[in-house]
Amino acid sequence: MRRHLSLYGLTFSLPLLIWQLVFFVFPLCFLVALSFWTVRNFAMRPDFDTVNWVTMYGRKVFWQAYATTFALAAVASVLTSVLAFPCSYAIAFKMSDRARRWAVFLMVIPFFTSYLVRVYSWQIFLSDAGILNVLFGWVGLGPYGMLNTVGATMIGYLTLSFPLVVLLQLFSLVFIDRTLIEAAHNLRCGRLRTVFAVIIPSARVGLVIAALFCFILSFGDFVSPVYLGGGDPTTLSILITDTTKSGQQWPRAAVIALTMIGTLMVVAFLSVRFAYKGRNA
Amino acid sequence: MQTDTLVSIDGVIKRFGSFVAVQRMDLDIRKGEFLAIMGSSGCGKTTTLRMLAGLEAPSEGVIRLAGQPINDLPTWARDTPMVWQSLALFPFLNVRENVEFALKMRGVGREERRQRAEQWLERMQIAEFADRNIAQLSGGQRQRVALARSLVVEPQILLLDEPLSALDAALKVRMQSLLKNLQRQTGITFVYVTHSQSEAFSMADRVVIMSRGKIEQIGTPQDIYRAPRTRFVADFLGSSNIFDGTVSRILPDGVELDTPSGRLRQTGGSPEGRPGTGRPATLTVLDTRMRLSRTPPPDGTNVVPVRVVGEEFVGATATVYLETEHGQEIRVQKGHEELADLSIQPGQALFAHWSPEDGHLLTQA
Repeated sequence: MRRHLSLYGLTFSLPLLIWQLVFFVFPLCFLVALSFWTVRNFAMRPDFDTVNWVTMYGRKVFWQAYATTFALAAVASVLTSVLAFPCSYAIAFKMSDRARRWAVFLMVIPFFTSYLVRVYSWQIFLSDAGILNVLFGWVGLGPYGMLNTVGATMIGYLTLSFPLVVLLQLFSLVFIDRTLIEAAHNLRCGRLRTVFAVIIPSARVGLVIAALFCFILSFGDFVSPVYLGGGDPTTLSILITDTTKSGQQWPRAAVIALTMIGTLMVVAFLSVRFAYKGRNA
Repeated sequence: MQTDTLVSIDGVIKRFGSFVAVQRMDLDIRKGEFLAIMGSSGCGKTTTLRMLAGLEAPSEGVIRLAGQPINDLPTWARDTPMVWQSLALFPFLNVRENVEFALKMRGVGREERRQRAEQWLERMQIAEFADRNIAQLSGGQRQRVALARSLVVEPQILLLDEPLSALDAALKVRMQSLLKNLQRQTGITFVYVTHSQSEAFSMADRVVIMSRGKIEQIGTPQDIYRAPRTRFVADFLGSSNIFDGTVSRILPDGVELDTPSGRLRQTGGSPEGRPGTGRPATLTVLDTRMRLSRTPPPDGTNVVPVRVVGEEFVGATATVYLETEHGQEIRVQKGHEELADLSIQPGQALFAHWSPEDGHLLTQA
């Protein structure tokens, strides 16, 4: 069916279209152009040179950072999904309607405070003289070096995406047809097995989208790897800031940013394709 | 307990909070029978079925399957597969995987699983759709998948919760005969919950009629149709020729009632439960047994003056709707030829009459 543009439709869609053009498409085009500019004597010059791409892609540190960032984001999305699932499962299936509304409200509350503040407060817990080490000291353990580790970065990623992943998972779980669960039980599928045989496949789209969001957030995050991970190992977001700081290399930073955007697009496309696989109807 | 009893429901009560869904039910389900549980929505028929399936636990009483109490068995520990009204097919599995599901859960090996599923797919004539998604099937095909999925484990009993309600009329009739044949061939006990009289009466060996959590009557379709036990059953089956009155005289083989439509006589039937003189009683007459004439018949028994309200033709028969002087509805069903000489017109005055042995006395008000 052909859709016609109408004044009514445009009234509502035009602001969004303009917003997307001005603040996404144009900057993206600019970023692409920027990646071909050159830098001489700490000054950028409009140009069309592939030197930035060749330099960045030729550097081992770039690929190390890329692999690290990708692996961290992948682990974060798996870990967050696995940890969030029992939580969203309990909210969806074990709680009364009233309790469920409260749980959703509690999951929204973290978004009231800045992510940066939440990450800083983790420092108070994780630092060498922090709350956790003091507590360990009382039982004769530690101190452990918890801050500036990969584990701390992971805690940051969890802080960032856990509530969102729970909410996204929850919305796919509450819409599962309960008779499917009863039918599975009725066909000799026990409780735990039903989770894997019926509930997860039924909620697959939502679960994959939730994990994808976690991946996107973690892949581009700068705060956790710096303030909790201590900048080591270097992630792509850290590499971008380092690159811009060292000799005005904005064009090289653009190469990194574009690589990240490309990666996220591919990951998002593959995830969504996987989520909807076998759902042609 | 009879030896051919498969399921016995013994004094079972089901409460949801203060609401009593099923009131102290006693029912034996026989091996290999097709039992229909019928009633309007909220009568407790689905709750009864869910208790058999183990999806609800009885608040009181015992349910036994093959002599063993199963109250405490969760649904996944009993062999009581159910076919849902929504069918509840797994949309993320294809047809074959749906049918194999129960076998997989029982730990049946891949080869045997495939073979047994194949058999049922062929038996239900859906083998060609084995690799399709559920969403690509028609309503009737889905129905067959749901049946195959439940029957593949060859259970002793199959529970069906209004599985045909979503189908169109023609398909419904086809599926009814498929179900009936399937039940006969396999000898599996079918417990079929429905609100549709035509479904229950066309398929079932025995029908249970429920109302407000209570069993109103159990019997073969013929028995229930000919001899409804209670006023509720008579109303539910849509019998419109119901006469309320008081017993004025006990006859050697029947009773005489005083009703607003005059003195009516009923003979035959079991003398058990027949009310005494002066007691209220209700008489029903099948619409096929009622006769109509222009002049009152000579013997003068069971004659009620009526006025024609309308007429309806269904195939070879016609239903004439009439009204007594007191506004009571009377319905008569006859072949076209029989009605031809009456040349029925709305508003026309006629006489409805029937022989005393065609009347049926309700044993409970």
